[in-house]
Amino acid sequence: MIVISTFFSCKEEEVDFSLNNCKRNPVFIQSMGFNPAKSYLSTSEERTMGLVLIEAEQPGNPQSRKVKIVQHPSWRKGGWLAPILLDEKGNIFTAPAPFITVYNNLIANNNTIYKVDNTTGEMSEFLKLPFADSINPENPFGIIGMAYLCETHTLYVSTVAGSRRYEERGNIYAISTESGGIIDKLAGTDALGLGISYITGSRELYFGLARNSDIMSVKLNSKGKFSGDAKKVFSLAGIGPRGDDKVRKIRSDQNGNLVIHGMEFNFNLIAPREKQETLYNFIYNNDENKWEPRK
Amino acid sequence: MSIVFSVFAVVFLSCKDGKKSISSLQGDKSVLESILSSADSLITFPFVEQRVKKIKEALQLPKPVLLYPDSASAKQRLAEMIALNDSSFTQFLFDPFTKMPFRNEVFGIHQARESDMAGIPGPHNLAECFRVEMYNYALNNTSVAIVDAGAQKVLNRFYLSDTQPDPPYSLVDLANEIAMASPEVEKALGFKPTKEKLLAQYYKTSLNRTRCERSRHLCVAPTFLLGEKTLWAIVDLTDHRLVGVRWITSGKTGPAAPILTERKLQDDKISACFCEQETALIKDGWDMKYMLTSSDGLRISNVIFNGKPVLRNAKLVDWHVNYSGTDGFGYSDAVGCPFFSQAAVIAWDPPLILDLKDDANKTIGFVLEQSYRSEGWPTPCSYNYKQRYEFYKDGRFRVAGGSLGRGCSNTATYRPVFRIAFAGDGNNFFEWGNTTWNQWMTEKWQLQNSSTPYSPEGFQYKIASAAGGYYLEPGKGQFNDGGRGDFSYVYVSRHDGKRDEGESDLVTIGPCCNTDYHQGPEKFIEPVAESIQNSSLVVWYIAQLRNDDKAGSEYCWAENKLENGVWNTKVYPCFAGPMFIPVTK
Repeated sequence: MIVISTFFSCKEEEVDFSLNNCKRNPVFIQSMGFNPAKSYLSTSEERTMGLVLIEAEQPGNPQSRKVKIVQHPSWRKGGWLAPILLDEKGNIFTAPAPFITVYNNLIANNNTIYKVDNTTGEMSEFLKLPFADSINPENPFGIIGMAYLCETHTLYVSTVAGSRRYEERGNIYAISTESGGIIDKLAGTDALGLGISYITGSRELYFGLARNSDIMSVKLNSKGKFSGDAKKVFSLAGIGPRGDDKVRKIRSDQNGNLVIHGMEFNFNLIAPREKQETLYNFIYNNDENKWEPRK
Repeated sequence: MSIVFSVFAVVFLSCKDGKKSISSLQGDKSVLESILSSADSLITFPFVEQRVKKIKEALQLPKPVLLYPDSASAKQRLAEMIALNDSSFTQFLFDPFTKMPFRNEVFGIHQARESDMAGIPGPHNLAECFRVEMYNYALNNTSVAIVDAGAQKVLNRFYLSDTQPDPPYSLVDLANEIAMASPEVEKALGFKPTKEKLLAQYYKTSLNRTRCERSRHLCVAPTFLLGEKTLWAIVDLTDHRLVGVRWITSGKTGPAAPILTERKLQDDKISACFCEQETALIKDGWDMKYMLTSSDGLRISNVIFNGKPVLRNAKLVDWHVNYSGTDGFGYSDAVGCPFFSQAAVIAWDPPLILDLKDDANKTIGFVLEQSYRSEGWPTPCSYNYKQRYEFYKDGRFRVAGGSLGRGCSNTATYRPVFRIAFAGDGNNFFEWGNTTWNQWMTEKWQLQNSSTPYSPEGFQYKIASAAGGYYLEPGKGQFNDGGRGDFSYVYVSRHDGKRDEGESDLVTIGPCCNTDYHQGPEKFIEPVAESIQNSSLVVWYIAQLRNDDKAGSEYCWAENKLENGVWNTKVYPCFAGPMFIPVTK
């Protein structure tokens, strides 16, 4: 399972399009009696399936004592979940991902995006992405990565559903959170983590490939659609302790540089705790127009 | 503009629909012909003995460190001594818990460069300064000290986890010796290699191209150039053994730079040879095919003994692991292929075929065995399973599996789920009822417990067919494999070719943590139990194995122990599974 925790902080409540940072806290956090400054959402609690809201003494520190934990009854309906994404209204988008076993995660449900209403906290199906063909038991994964473009209210979702050992059938979808419809897609690409940066002077979606260690980018137009072909921008191949990490998550720092969370991924259900995660920092060299690992 | 873009977008979408094909490993001869050495290999080399002796001697020293083995100047030696007297640089010499020494070795005493002096208040005479690098084999980390030999002090020190410095020449030479002496290398080359065939190994780029990311051992890759092909031999310098070999096409412009690592070597070979194709096995009167599945372990099929069909197939569907200390906590582990699979614990080595011997060391059959392992095993919450099929020359066979720990705690109960599909469609199933064999008329389950009656020969069930059939003898601790009894659930379901009740690869069949018969197979016999008279039968066998970590009675357990300065794993397996004995008429 891909484990992701999203932390709330005062800073993240600011709306800043240039940093593509417009997340807001869901209203229900306070109505549930939680302190937003010390609370976070998690899909990575090993003993609790689904989404949970946690208030901790020191959010961000995994060892910190958890003061309160709550789970809305609807937050288990997708089985084990992985990505968590907030929009500017405080709505939460998430999707299923199997954790060690597919017992609680039907493969047929792997391409479903769920939305947690920012006011009520109720989780419901937002959009069921199309499957490439019949259910394929050799690949237990579907949706893996999510990113959000604030200025166009576009949700980007990577899915590897339907891909096989020797057939790459994944897609990256651009979805309007306002209409709930697919506005564009990059087909035939198995991608994992997604992230957005403006550092090159244009808005670009960055994504890590699922079958090798390359990080690609594709320009986004003013409507949030893909513009032109995706191109390779850098790779994790040969670096880090394993040398073949795949990208679990991409986020851009305050300057627009990329922080890459890399780990092993081979389309199997090895427990996440066995997968060491390594952080890779890449900065954009404006003089040479290329990305370089931070020394 | 927006209209133009919309049109473009439609074209863009339609052009990009579809799928990409990926080259099959089946077409890659280098993968198919790669050779993996068994991790259990007992092969040692005489020239390694000298090295092991030095290691043992160093571990007895107050500062248990193998000094820099290559030639060094007096100043370099002084820098090494200064570094080793720095308590911070040497903080990883001993295990903090057992106080036993780790194996540490100085890999380099390099002239310091300006970049090494960053952040160190100067001035310094760079000619007097050295960078001392020490590798810890047990922790796989590197300690670095920047030493001013003139001032006789350590200027800076730092540590790099999961990092290996460039090994000294003498260790690279040792790796080359191991490669040249390994039969796998000779087999791949077709001749006994010599030093002249080795590419220079002293270049950083060559040594950086391999990793033993699974074992976290120090590995280098001696390479043998033959025409436009290069044979890579990955050598583990922690254990002094060959990991495996694989050919890489280097081309006319010199060696290419693929990243061939321990994991890639293993996963590619297993996938190409055992996940993507069946292998025929004919031995000792037995005839069958086997292959690794996505999530049901090693599957054998079309099993025939002396011309008579025995099994349609057999496999290991799941391992259910339940921790009794916490309600409902545990895992359903599927075992299987490393790529594109639902396996949580993946095949680590290729299937092994081993001789089966009796107490008099006489070969009485053979074993087909498959290992599965978590990365990092035996750290807490990691797993190691073995699946074992035993075939005897007298027609007996056993379907077995074992856990080698370690799991998350000492409160685990392991429940392997075996599915055994018998050949033929005229089978009948009987249980021993103290004096006679009583037939099961419909699908049913039963638990083996302390009051279970066994026939005088120790059998619990009989699968009868026109050709004779087989008795089923459950594990009661009698198989001399360390097993302490299976306490098994047995289910019998009727196979119908028109529906799939686990004949193809099964997704996880049941939850981790049920402690009763609701382990998964019951869904094929409930709510309406079908007749199983004169039918094609499937026997589901689920053993229950409670782990133990108490000293002297360890079971389903493993732990790391420091031996000669590095971690070695001591295992306490718990094996389970029934023996099938031919019914003689």
